[in-house]
Amino acid sequence: MVSYILKRMVLAVPVLLGISVIVFLLVRLIPGDVIDLMLGTEGSLRPEVREQLRQTLGLDQPLYVQYVTWLGDIVRGDLGRSLRTGQPIVENLAGKLPITLELAFLSVVMSLVVAIPLGIVSALRRNSVIDFVVRVLGTIGLSLPNFWLATMLILVASLLFRWGPALIYVSPLDNLGENLKQMFLPSLALALGLMAVVMRMTRSSMLEVLSQDYIRTARAKGLRERLVIYRHALRNALMPVLTVVGIQTGHLLGGAVIVEQIYGLPGLGWFLLNGIYQRDYPVVQAGVLIIAGIFVVTNLVVDLLYAVIDPRIQYV
Amino acid sequence: MAKRRSHRRDTLPAIDRRQFLSSTGVAVGGLLAATSGVGAGGRAPLAAGAAFQGEPVAGGTMIWAQELDPVSLDPHKTSNFSTVQGIEHTYQSLTMYDEELNVVPCLAESWESPDDTTYIMHLRPGVLWHDGTELTANDVKYSLERLLNPETAAPYASWFNAIESVEVIDPLTVQLNLSAPYGPLLANFAAMRGSSIIQNGADAAMNLQLQAVGTGPYRMVDYVPESHFTLARNESYWEEGLPYVDEVTFKILVDEDARVAALRSDQIQYAYLTVEGAERLAGEAAVSVLRSPKAWLVAHFMNTFREPFTDVRVRQAISLAVNRQEVIDKAVGGAGVLSGPMPTGHGDWFIPVENLPYAQDLDGARALLAEAGFPDGFATTITCSPQYPEFVASSVVMQEQLAQIGIEAEVVQMEWGQFVSDTSRQNGWNYDIKVTAFTFYPDPDGYLYTPWQTDSTSNYTYSNPEFDAIVAEARSTLDVAKRHELYDQAQQMLLDESPAIFWYVGENIEALPANVQGYTQSYTGRRIFLKKTWMEQS
Repeated sequence: MVSYILKRMVLAVPVLLGISVIVFLLVRLIPGDVIDLMLGTEGSLRPEVREQLRQTLGLDQPLYVQYVTWLGDIVRGDLGRSLRTGQPIVENLAGKLPITLELAFLSVVMSLVVAIPLGIVSALRRNSVIDFVVRVLGTIGLSLPNFWLATMLILVASLLFRWGPALIYVSPLDNLGENLKQMFLPSLALALGLMAVVMRMTRSSMLEVLSQDYIRTARAKGLRERLVIYRHALRNALMPVLTVVGIQTGHLLGGAVIVEQIYGLPGLGWFLLNGIYQRDYPVVQAGVLIIAGIFVVTNLVVDLLYAVIDPRIQYV
Repeated sequence: MAKRRSHRRDTLPAIDRRQFLSSTGVAVGGLLAATSGVGAGGRAPLAAGAAFQGEPVAGGTMIWAQELDPVSLDPHKTSNFSTVQGIEHTYQSLTMYDEELNVVPCLAESWESPDDTTYIMHLRPGVLWHDGTELTANDVKYSLERLLNPETAAPYASWFNAIESVEVIDPLTVQLNLSAPYGPLLANFAAMRGSSIIQNGADAAMNLQLQAVGTGPYRMVDYVPESHFTLARNESYWEEGLPYVDEVTFKILVDEDARVAALRSDQIQYAYLTVEGAERLAGEAAVSVLRSPKAWLVAHFMNTFREPFTDVRVRQAISLAVNRQEVIDKAVGGAGVLSGPMPTGHGDWFIPVENLPYAQDLDGARALLAEAGFPDGFATTITCSPQYPEFVASSVVMQEQLAQIGIEAEVVQMEWGQFVSDTSRQNGWNYDIKVTAFTFYPDPDGYLYTPWQTDSTSNYTYSNPEFDAIVAEARSTLDVAKRHELYDQAQQMLLDESPAIFWYVGENIEALPANVQGYTQSYTGRRIFLKKTWMEQS
């Protein structure tokens, strides 16, 4: 197990390295640089001052030198400084990453708690009214973009209840209740899409498993239906669901960018978005790398969970 | 010459603002109607929307929505308007604006000019920094020298380049030696673009990007980037009795729907809105929506260094072909006022709306085009950025209007960063027609010299030696009447030569709950009068 984890970690290195090259080049391909944007259309700098600023920021170096310097810093655990503010990015992330992770975590929990039971019921009562309703809801959930949902939820709450989530972020460590109240709507906005995916996956996966021979055998040997469902069917049906959740973390983190902005949550997504707008190269690079890292780790955890769910799978 | 102040007080009869507002039929209290003082009275003073009722009460806390992150609080190094919004209640400068856009004394209590290139500024005695120490001439010297130091790379240093040296005469007197007479100087201080006075040695003593110790009505308590900044009442503030509210948090809410929702659920006490946002709030009796013209002059700029816009007849034809009111109606839902090269409402420098030569004349336009050798029109492009939806909307309306005289314009949209870089002087002005807007400049110099003078670093593709001479003379003239004459001439020239199609100035739309009183809108688009805002205590 441990050696498997280590092996996967080692394999993650080339993946992240590849991503680092891609993001490094892509962000520089966007026209305009941080100095253009610092000046806007109205500010002005004499050309020599501008050149000097480029030097101070290290933007005058050849690309490969910039890349190697950056990579060297990363290896030493230094994510660099924001070009725009001069702040160490690590310090910025310390406050922002937990917010995004909490948002993603709550969304996953919310969608699993709702979607898996619905998926099971839907599969068991196939073609019933409940199944029909759940499937229609699922299709709707899939088709609604999360930025629209986020806006609608906040507008509806303000119109009907004259209520909105607290504006200034409250850490769960300070006040868990307040924090959850505040995070409920943004998490919900993010969760609905995933909920629909998980629900549909659970349903179809359950249907497939329920038609297997071993389920018939289990029933034939007189096992109670409840045990058949939970111990035999669900356990096997969960494998593809888990895979989907792992892959959806990417979507979730992408959706967080918009949702954070709408709810004024100072998380990683918004930080990254501002970085892109302002051509703050180190911020974009660090942000993308961190998100890639989260994605790699999540999918590693998913792979490890396979072994927990299915004893036939062993990692050596 | 003694104190040199904005001259408008001298040239116009004083109008009591309450009288003015009531005479234009503004409901006081409840839902405040839109006030637009421009148009009716020609060069009327700016009528800013204001909420006032009863005697101010001190105390309370508020949350105001801030639409963009300040990014950095360093008052010298940044060009963002959002930075100004972040620091304007904490830092101050030698001069400031009153409600009618007059330049009035601030940290400098008075000043004198023994000659055209010397200003002796007498600092206000007893002004305390937020850490309790006293403001002195050394602070002023330090701030201006930091601003002008090339290593600071201050984007707005050019507004103060005329200052050659700063001499401390005594702890409360500082002398500015100019290299040449420079008319815009006192107004430039008031604009807070790089003009903030910070404590002597502040750059070494603290992180100016995140911290601010100033002399203003509010102390900066903390700034959490991308989240909020919190201001607390400066107990020892020098303006008697001000400010009223104990604590104000500016919460960064980029999304307008979120601001509208927060207003409805009574979570915030202020929000900046667009027309759409204001419409969404219609019928909310508990929220007052203030509207007035502001310095946001939208224009399409023609590249006069590129065929066929090198021919003045082509530009004039375009100017005759367009219908400016239609652009206002369609691009910003009517929330705008026609404007010439100086934004309508800016002091008394602008050409009154009724005198603008803006009658549409399609036959005249076609004749001019034919004369220029384009009887069937030509193909061109309009470059715009969807960062500002009204830029795209106005481009599309213009496209339709140009089609009427056979000009086929393709609207090219690009992301803001790319737009800024592509169309800049450094990158060779890569556009046929581009659209952008001028925000607030303290002095006509900003609207007439900066964009149009041949050697200006922000030149908008226009060069005319005769024009250059006029704006250069106006810049170095201190006599206000003379400057007026020169700037009128310059504006007329721009209208004749049409290097740009000036459309309109936008509206400043701000919403506050009805229990928040005393706030006045500013033509600058800033929230200068937070200091006079108070809350009804229930």
